[in-house]
Amino acid sequence: MTTSGISRRSALRMFGIGALGVAGAGTLAACAPSGGSSSSNGGDTKAKDFAFTSWSLNEEAAKPAVEKIIAAWEKAEKSKIRTVSYPYNEYLSQLTLKLGGGETTGAVQLDIAWLGAVAQMGKLADLSAAAKKGGYTDVGVKSGVYDGVQYGLPWTTGSIGLIANSKLLEKAGITEHPKTTEEFEAALRELKGLGGGVVPYAAATKVAQLKDIFPWMQTFGCTLLDGDKVTIGDDASVDAVTWYKKLHDAKLIAADVDRFDARALFGQGKAAFYDDAIIGKGATAAQSKDKTLADAMQPVTRPVLTSGDTPRALLWGHVIAVAKGEGQEAATEFALHATSDRATTVEYFETLALPPATTQGLADPKVKDDAFTTAWTEQITKTATGSPFWQFAQNAQIEEAVAKQVQAVLVGGAKPKDAMKQAGKEVADLIKR
Amino acid sequence: MSTSAPRQKHGGRLSNGAFALLLTAPGLALFAAIIVYPLVSALFTGFFRQDLRLPGREFVGLENFTYWLDSGFGTILKQTLVFTVGATIVPFLIGFALALALNSGLKGSGFLRGLFLFPWVIPGVVVSFLWMWIFNANYGVLNGILLELGFIEESVSWLGKPGTAMLAVIITKTWASFPWMMVMLLAGLQTVPKELHEAAAMDGAGAIRRFFAVTWPQVRGVASIVLLLEFIWNFQHFDTIYVLTGGGPAGATETFATAVYQSAFKGFDLGRATALGGLWMLLLLVLVAAYLWITERKGDAR
Repeated sequence: MTTSGISRRSALRMFGIGALGVAGAGTLAACAPSGGSSSSNGGDTKAKDFAFTSWSLNEEAAKPAVEKIIAAWEKAEKSKIRTVSYPYNEYLSQLTLKLGGGETTGAVQLDIAWLGAVAQMGKLADLSAAAKKGGYTDVGVKSGVYDGVQYGLPWTTGSIGLIANSKLLEKAGITEHPKTTEEFEAALRELKGLGGGVVPYAAATKVAQLKDIFPWMQTFGCTLLDGDKVTIGDDASVDAVTWYKKLHDAKLIAADVDRFDARALFGQGKAAFYDDAIIGKGATAAQSKDKTLADAMQPVTRPVLTSGDTPRALLWGHVIAVAKGEGQEAATEFALHATSDRATTVEYFETLALPPATTQGLADPKVKDDAFTTAWTEQITKTATGSPFWQFAQNAQIEEAVAKQVQAVLVGGAKPKDAMKQAGKEVADLIKR
Repeated sequence: MSTSAPRQKHGGRLSNGAFALLLTAPGLALFAAIIVYPLVSALFTGFFRQDLRLPGREFVGLENFTYWLDSGFGTILKQTLVFTVGATIVPFLIGFALALALNSGLKGSGFLRGLFLFPWVIPGVVVSFLWMWIFNANYGVLNGILLELGFIEESVSWLGKPGTAMLAVIITKTWASFPWMMVMLLAGLQTVPKELHEAAAMDGAGAIRRFFAVTWPQVRGVASIVLLLEFIWNFQHFDTIYVLTGGGPAGATETFATAVYQSAFKGFDLGRATALGGLWMLLLLVLVAAYLWITERKGDAR
């Protein structure tokens, strides 16, 4: 009988070395750069068929409405739209990688907060000519502009604000919306008293949406950015986070909540307030078993620190951009149609409560006479502002850096003053990079 | 009897060495293309400031490495080790206990063996989502049961607290890992001759004595391989942690795998990501050295 000459010990050793080597190499290899990039993603720009990348196609409530717009276009133009979708919280990462790698072409849905970061990649087409044909509102047009170039056609423009469940407020004996942070806190304590697992305010506490802290910081007087100077870390930002921590410790806000958890809790009638964009009404009501919930949803002006202060809200909206390359012209026409065709935008509004970004669409009786939308515009969007960090390619990292520090405070891992000082330093470093 | 000489005559001019090289060449070429080149390229990138989205890069020397060493490397290492050790030892103990039970001739052991394999055949991401719903603070099954039984008065944020988040991640990984460990150990146990147990029993050895004197020496080799492999896999494990906590809350479950991912694909900072990956690989090499030292020492002691 012959033997291999390799002892069990040697075999074991080689096995271990091999496994460790492949593990380490594979790990690093995954981060290897993919080479240079060109500004166009290639292909025939006049092709009739193109792709449409959208997170709405990944959301149960929005998907049918977007699919309907796509189907109508395909039928009318006798062309084919290839759809691509990623969940909202993963969307920017996935899109950036695919766009940078030349795999994304055609029309691309973008959150206005991401436009700056994506536009800086140099892959988006200038849509100035198309924008002139759309009849968009001034605010809408501006939401698609970065560095003086029209990269996106506005699909919807609104804001992120507070939504209340009037049934729960009534049950807790709250007859008026709280105007100041003090009144708001008192209202939350009343709501907590209802018991039954009610979360008074389903505020974001997970990193993914903890950017919602920014309007509260502004409410407490922090400007976030003053010229070139990052002001996160000042007394106002520390006060805001200290207050947020107080709400957390008193269980007036819940741990482990992102936008989708908040919608689920609100939909179950277990949250009295939560932060959302105007889309929240349609998305939350659609997933709720309570068919009367939509009527109970009320937009609430964000409470101010002192009576007379300007309420803070974050501007919010979607645009459709177009990647240079394959199907660019047809994708531009599709983007123009989806965002400005009156019948299409009004029907989209009727399904998802997303107001059009065109003057004609907003003047349509179906939009103009909608009480929720009118109230939202008056009470929240009127004073909404964009984030000063949107101009930076590192916006997502900036939001995450602040969110991680706020989360550290919430879980007791850091003191508000130290955490905000660290957040400010990290944001300043990111801006410099 | 040797058969190589006639083959050389009929096969032409290739020597054994050249023939072996010919056989390994495709594998080596593939290895160079998909592992060596990206690895060297990635290691090189660690010395540059490079954004994944933007063209061009700038040489920054050791800046990316010092960034990690100055901010959080120790914490990430500690958390990676806590996860790795926890997610290796716990499923090993459970798997070994079940393997011993199934090897003892338990009634219905065939059915139970199949049943216990169930978690192993479910994809890791699905397992992670399943446990994410179980641990959910606001509508999770675990809180529901504990509230119903009166063990807790209000919902606990299992994944939202640093203390419980790591525990939850280890439990989830344990659930996914113990079956394969059980199967490997059971295979090892089945090679132990029954006669040895019978002889030890006749000499008056009890169950515990028989385990340490007969069973353990026979399965120690298999157990070492199982532990080593699980340790390596856990040291680089990603999906369970990423799905359950994303490395949070406040970085409490951040390991090398999630930190490299966050840096590369959320922060788009390729330079820092590859620098951390390089440091991580250095640690793996330390593990290799430690492993070699241990095995050599054992060999010399014999």
